[in-house]
Amino acid sequence: MKAEEKNTELVVSAFHDALERTPIEKTRVCMVSDIPFPPRLIRPLGVDFFHTTRGRAIPFATGMKLGNPKLKVVVFIGDLVTLGGNHFVHAGRRNMDILIICVNDSIYTRIAGEELPVKLERIRFSSYGSFEESFNIPHLANSCGAVYIARWTALHKEELSGSISYALQKNGFSLIDVLSQKSDILEFYHTNSEVREEEDTNNVAITEDKKIIVGKFIDRQRPTFIDSYNKQLSRVMGDKFVKIEV
Amino acid sequence: MKANPEDVFTGVYYIDGDVACAYGAIAAGCKFLAGYPITPSTEAAEAFVRRAPEVGALFIQMEDELGSIAAVLGAAWAGKKAMTITSGPGFSLMMENIGLGAALEIPFVIINIQRGGPSTGVPTRTGQADIMQSRWGSHGDYEVIALSPDSPQESFEFMIKAFNLAERYRCPVMLMSDECVGHMTEKVVIPPASEIEIEPRRFYKGPKEDYIPYKRESDLVSPIVKAGDGYNLYIIGLTHDERGYPISDEEALKKDLDKISTNRYLVDKIRKNRDDIIEVVEDQIDGAEVVVVSYGITSRVALKAIEQARSDGIKVGSLRLITVWPFPEKRIEEIAARVKGFVVPEINYGQVAFEVDRCSHGEANVILVPHGGASVHDPKDILGAIHRVASEKKRYENVIEYTTGLEMSVFGKRLAEIARK
Repeated sequence: MKAEEKNTELVVSAFHDALERTPIEKTRVCMVSDIPFPPRLIRPLGVDFFHTTRGRAIPFATGMKLGNPKLKVVVFIGDLVTLGGNHFVHAGRRNMDILIICVNDSIYTRIAGEELPVKLERIRFSSYGSFEESFNIPHLANSCGAVYIARWTALHKEELSGSISYALQKNGFSLIDVLSQKSDILEFYHTNSEVREEEDTNNVAITEDKKIIVGKFIDRQRPTFIDSYNKQLSRVMGDKFVKIEV
Repeated sequence: MKANPEDVFTGVYYIDGDVACAYGAIAAGCKFLAGYPITPSTEAAEAFVRRAPEVGALFIQMEDELGSIAAVLGAAWAGKKAMTITSGPGFSLMMENIGLGAALEIPFVIINIQRGGPSTGVPTRTGQADIMQSRWGSHGDYEVIALSPDSPQESFEFMIKAFNLAERYRCPVMLMSDECVGHMTEKVVIPPASEIEIEPRRFYKGPKEDYIPYKRESDLVSPIVKAGDGYNLYIIGLTHDERGYPISDEEALKKDLDKISTNRYLVDKIRKNRDDIIEVVEDQIDGAEVVVVSYGITSRVALKAIEQARSDGIKVGSLRLITVWPFPEKRIEEIAARVKGFVVPEINYGQVAFEVDRCSHGEANVILVPHGGASVHDPKDILGAIHRVASEKKRYENVIEYTTGLEMSVFGKRLAEIARK
């Protein structure tokens, strides 16, 4: 088994635990991703799985949610904000009712520099190591208006599945940033992380000299896209408007 | 199945082609629109948004066309009849997910109100240069269905046809209209719902545990289910077998017939059913020496030339493509054996003309009447080409380009100027 796959398994198994402990009909849960998870990981979850084109999982999920607002749509994406970053920003702005689990392996980023036990060897194109700064993904989500934001490493199994379970029951655009990497680096992430609940997302950027801040950062309410849609169209169209049932 | 009376705005209207498209979509049962405004298609989206919320449809203006088409695919899996509306540049952005839609066999409709291209082109004027793109635009092998209306009335009717075909064959269907038809205002008659035939989605009806996502019926199309209905779906964009599982191992393929990739069916379900899909309108083909092959707005311009040529004593037939794709290959082949040649006017520098040439197997001359876009043909050019074919003694191997008045007066002069220097 490939190392990366094993780490994906950690995240999927946290998702599995979350599904088990959440009072939600599993069959109503749809999982949308822009990378193809293998069937053996997905089938046991008992949910519907859709693999879309790279970077387009969020708009696909948007359509799915609007096509049937009774569904709970969970999007798994990779280092996001490369392909499809714009969709992330706009889904947040609209407060589209989807949960994003960002499986973040930071291949585009320089993390903790020399102190890593194993250096992050590559941006995909480069044999000479990473030299780019990372997005502060929770802060980005915050500025877009996400209603729930948390970050954990894949080794924070209990906390992660707790967060997923909570977010599954939340209405609105939620983000869980999961740091996931080869096992040795993941260990390093885990030991160098510090739980700080309700931390200002301004302070959670992953940088070379700081601890990796994990925890739940944001939990708030905003009207979702469908709430606003129903409100506006009812106001303008009156009785003619057929409300979208959630 | 008949249309739902609530969805059909029965009556006599004076509207443009764009608006007629929107009303057609609503009548067909379309309940989801994701799009991004782009000239000259925006009026269609606006018209949909004005009326569709009355019948329980939902719209969203996405951040771009990449998102629009992805949302359409998602909504279609969620069980809705879904579409997007766009024009050239937006159409280009949609190509990747048209491929995904074809691969996952999702029924959906795209309206492309064509404008001048390439690139930003002539946003406010007409063109017919996206025809090949509609067929081959995304990578990989698949077949689509494309329809070409020539009037607001047809825009309405073909939208219903488009949704019916999408549901019937689980494939992308494109309405390849153009700026002229889109912005042309004419009388449109919307009949009562009882006169509109609607193809319902081919939902799977067997026991849940026996469902196999791409198991085909005799017409090579497989029944579909809705996301979230407990089928434990596994749907991926990788090349897959009928269960939807990825295929990459040729050895396994040889051993196990169940693991055959479904790719073959993406083309076969259209090719093998083409006689049921293809629609053309023919006029006086029998005994004709020249046949004009046209589609969309150009077929209306060609009418004038055909009338004139007939009064000049030439036996001219007309073959108008309702479905541009799949292409009526057999019919062209049959006609080619009996006529001197074809005249193919189109608002591009040769797309369908080469298809006509391919299908005539050297049996007939093919004359292309090109047009660079931003307006329609001068009927005189089409008439000239008809005369040329009628009087031509020689058989040419390739498509011959008819030099139109516009070409001569603009490019001809410039070429002569360049040559002089």
